[in-house]
Amino acid sequence: MAITLPPGLNQQTLPKDAAQSGLTRSRAGGRILRSATAGALAVWFVLPLVPLGLWVFADRWSYPAPLPQDWGLQNVDSALSRGAATAFAGSLGLGLVVSAVATPLGVLAARSLAFHPSRWSAPVSALLFAPLALPAFVAVFGLNVLLVRLQVPSYAGVVLVLTVYALPYTTYVMRLAYAAHDIGFDEEACTLGATQGQVFLRVQFPLIAPALARAAFLAFLVGWSDYLVTLLIGGGSLVTVPLLVASAASGAGNDGIVAVLSVMALVPPLGLLLGLTGRRRRGGWS
Amino acid sequence: MPAAEVLTARTRPRPRTAAGHGTKARVQGLLLAVPAVLLVAFVVVGGSAMVAAQSLGLMPLVGRPELSTAAYTAHGGDLLVGVGLSLAIAGASTVLACLIGFAAALIMMQGRWCGKLVAAMSSLSIPVPHIVGAATAGLLLADSGLLARVFGAAERWPDVVGGQWWLAVIFEYAWKESAFVGLVVAGTLATRSVDYEETAALLGAGRLGRLRHVLLPLSLPALIISGTIAFIYSFGSYEVAWLLGRPYPEPLPVMALRLYNSVTLTARPEAAAVAVVTAVVSLGAALVALACLRKIPLWR
Repeated sequence: MAITLPPGLNQQTLPKDAAQSGLTRSRAGGRILRSATAGALAVWFVLPLVPLGLWVFADRWSYPAPLPQDWGLQNVDSALSRGAATAFAGSLGLGLVVSAVATPLGVLAARSLAFHPSRWSAPVSALLFAPLALPAFVAVFGLNVLLVRLQVPSYAGVVLVLTVYALPYTTYVMRLAYAAHDIGFDEEACTLGATQGQVFLRVQFPLIAPALARAAFLAFLVGWSDYLVTLLIGGGSLVTVPLLVASAASGAGNDGIVAVLSVMALVPPLGLLLGLTGRRRRGGWS
Repeated sequence: MPAAEVLTARTRPRPRTAAGHGTKARVQGLLLAVPAVLLVAFVVVGGSAMVAAQSLGLMPLVGRPELSTAAYTAHGGDLLVGVGLSLAIAGASTVLACLIGFAAALIMMQGRWCGKLVAAMSSLSIPVPHIVGAATAGLLLADSGLLARVFGAAERWPDVVGGQWWLAVIFEYAWKESAFVGLVVAGTLATRSVDYEETAALLGAGRLGRLRHVLLPLSLPALIISGTIAFIYSFGSYEVAWLLGRPYPEPLPVMALRLYNSVTLTARPEAAAVAVVTAVVSLGAALVALACLRKIPLWR
């Protein structure tokens, strides 16, 4: 597995403001306790990211100064001279390719599971979720021999393995979406004389579009975040941001470069996440 | 295709019996899953089979294939220590992740500003790749890290990174996986808990009573599933323990990777043996979790 991802990452999971009715509203003491817990949890989730924000702009930050002594952008230059731009392009490409392969395959599998249940459905879904129970390095150890003998190019090998590790997420998200899909809309369109293509484009696609975006985003994250599969199957021919982060972080005295590379690894997925959530808020999607 | 046929063929979402479904449609339905199934089978089944064959000496780099368990016994003691160490790291971080994640889910459920704050902050850490999480945990916790600087600890700073207790490794997993657990549990609670909570409150249940008899049972399936996924991930993941751990003793994935990259000819089967052991324990954890889920009435 390349990463663990919640399927409902940018779904509306929170109850509305009114969810707390008078029946379950807490008293003053409880409210203080809750605010304190919420504050502590917010610190817990954000604290590990704080050093990144400081180190990125720290031209000089010798121990034991609590804050950088000189601020600047030298670290960005050093990171770029280590090939950060190429690695960024490599990561972006890998994430997009994995997403482009794993999303449609997940859609097809989810359609099969949702609309055509048979005695094969249970084993099929068990198999599709199996990657969650098999550490990625185990599969890679076995596959490397096969891929070399079958003369599969290393890039295709990396995409293959990462696609398989993205499939549980894309299939699950689309399976949930199809379970909630009201077939009545399709029927209505058919009775009104829509062709199959029109039904797909005008009815089904808009209904599943938010889930499709979620599935594609999760698959992108699997490719974007991967370290081990890219390292072992790519064999150094494919350089991505996580690979650069690892090589910089394993050496000493690279703290500033590590921070720049880490921020590079964070910006695209966070941007996509904000884009997806913002789009939903504006009512572009249901 | 005539409209009537379109209607019957396309719009029956879930036929209650297979008999209500033509053979052709059934085959077509199955075919949809074939591409995904083939890829997963190749990687999961093919990969596992090949790694098992390598570990049993059936695919040596040089020489004749010969069935043997030598690879499993070559590092017998270290292998067992590795199992114990990996179980301890994964277990500790999973327990922490479940506790913190459940607390986060409860706060998120309350809505209002604190729920929104916690939800936003936990989603922030989800897309962080683990190698980046490990690197930034190092910048935070190392003896020259941010916390040591802020507290002016100097030499008194404990060995969090690379120390005896693998604290930084456990911290990184607990941090990343608590957000995962929190969002998964909040997702299931949001859809079903409000009515039950209100009913319980109306019947006189206090806050602790509602937590124990409503919220905990409702979140248990999601908690078990996300906890198991987090456990298996941290059990079989390499980069965090490699970056933030100590050289010896080694968790299983670190040991496997070292042997895999070793130049010795016998090392490949030994690496494969470590991988097989890791896979067997992971599968065992998944089966235990499924057995637990079956006992929960809500799951069915």
